[in-house]
Amino acid sequence: MDKNSGDQKDQILLRQLKDILLSEDRADIKALQDTLESYDLLSAHVSPIVKDHLQSFRNNYPEEFRKIVAHLIEERAKRTEESIGLINALIDDKAQLSEKVSPIVVDHIENLKQNFPKEFTIVIDKQIETKLKGSQDEILNIITPVLGKLIRKSIAHQFQMLKESIDRKIKSTFSKQGFFGRLFKSQRKNSEEILSEMDPVIIEEVYVIQRDSGLLIGSASKEKTLDQDMIAGMFTAIKAFVEDAFKRKNEELEMIEYDHYRIFIQNFYSYYIAVAMSGSISASEKGQIANRLYDFAESELKQIPADINDSLNSRISEKLKNYFFDTEQVLKSA
Amino acid sequence: MISKKIILTGSFGVGKTSLFNKFIYNKFDEKYLTTIGVKVNKKVITIDEKEVSLLLWDIAGEVSQDKIPNSYFLGSSGIIYVFDLTRPSTYKNIVKDIDYLKNITDEAIIKVVGNKSDLIDAEKLNEVRNTIMQPWDIITSAKTGENVTELFHSLGKAFIQ
Ligand SMILES: Nc1nc2c(ncn2[C@@H]2O[C@H](COP(=O)(O)OP(=O)(O)OP(=O)(O)O)[C@@H](O)[C@H]2O)c(=O)[nH]1
Ligand SMILES: [Mg+2]
Repeated sequence: MDKNSGDQKDQILLRQLKDILLSEDRADIKALQDTLESYDLLSAHVSPIVKDHLQSFRNNYPEEFRKIVAHLIEERAKRTEESIGLINALIDDKAQLSEKVSPIVVDHIENLKQNFPKEFTIVIDKQIETKLKGSQDEILNIITPVLGKLIRKSIAHQFQMLKESIDRKIKSTFSKQGFFGRLFKSQRKNSEEILSEMDPVIIEEVYVIQRDSGLLIGSASKEKTLDQDMIAGMFTAIKAFVEDAFKRKNEELEMIEYDHYRIFIQNFYSYYIAVAMSGSISASEKGQIANRLYDFAESELKQIPADINDSLNSRISEKLKNYFFDTEQVLKSA
Repeated sequence: MISKKIILTGSFGVGKTSLFNKFIYNKFDEKYLTTIGVKVNKKVITIDEKEVSLLLWDIAGEVSQDKIPNSYFLGSSGIIYVFDLTRPSTYKNIVKDIDYLKNITDEAIIKVVGNKSDLIDAEKLNEVRNTIMQPWDIITSAKTGENVTELFHSLGKAFIQ
């Protein structure tokens, strides 16, 4: 075997080695990307905190920061060693082949086998060192994949906490009085209770809301509830969100249901009316309510100015009160 | 008393909720709890002896404004576009964003706000001023309260004129 063909084989083997190494890395990166992908949105939200924390962490605890980075390097080196073990095994497997290959190639491989870990580690160390000296963004690029998992855990945790705190808030805020109290409290009711009550439909609250802005034009309720301006805004936000999410041009949200409470929404041109009701409601009752809303709108809401102010609000609120709450048999009269 | 809708928008983590909470409750929290969906709240302010009721919509931040449901902006009299003076990524799309907002609203007053002024010194601030392609209306700090009342009152004032 002459020297030239030996050199060629040498080249081929080296290329193969490189491929093996790269494919390992590629697989690693792919796996990390995959795990991170589904959390893209979340991590996008979290990254400013991570960044902020990292910055202050680095400033406040330089020693710990160094340790973490050192640990990361160590981890990386470990993985490299593992890959090299794999490569070694591969090469050993090909022992027969090596025998035929020129002794120079074998030497090269031996050399590589012995020096590779050391050289590779040095290169990595150097890279990390220069990157550490470089910008914060680059440090983040190195650390982010590793942090990815931690972030995910922390997000899951944060979400759980958020959920619990929302639950708590709903319980404490909404259990005080009025419709919203019962709206959220009623979960515990068992079906038997509900059946035995045979709830008649009761209108609890009525809101007339400017369609685009969500500003409250007027409202009336059986019992005083939370700030009605805010509720009107939230209804409108929910409505906007749902209508946007389903991207239906000519269909609008008509009903928000919660347990056995319903918020019935009737859209008009520049405003909409939201009616919060309790009790079980049949299709015909729904029709009756819609008719009542049309009647009210026709007689009282013909001229609604674009600018909303106090006096308009009290005028409309008074009318709503008279129309919906001053008679006992609300539905029967419809 | 008149009622007006104001929407707080901008990228995530820039301090929209913090400005909202500082203005309404005079509270600031170092913790970051990202807003999900929308939160609506109200504050009545008095300007030149006239009361104005501000309905504030605090929405979840998005990297680009065209990702936000269009209808959120409808009927708003004021749009507060917040960016973070310390994070260039929050103002790199600013020209496009402001153009977009101008396009989808017709009468809304848009205020461009650089927040977290407490984290940046005069020299750095100048640097940002020189790199940013869109002049800001006011710089604020939800942490120290700098210019927070001024921001909302400047809108209130514009509404009653
Ligand atoms: N130092 C300082 N920190 C601030 C300031 N404003 C907000 N922060 C912090 O920045 C982080 C994000 O603030 P948020 O108010 O939640 O940001 P946001 O714009 O509502 O974010 P999204 O709801 O995700 O869109 C929090 O940790 C705040 O404590 C400020 O003026 N100064
Ligand atoms: Mg927020």
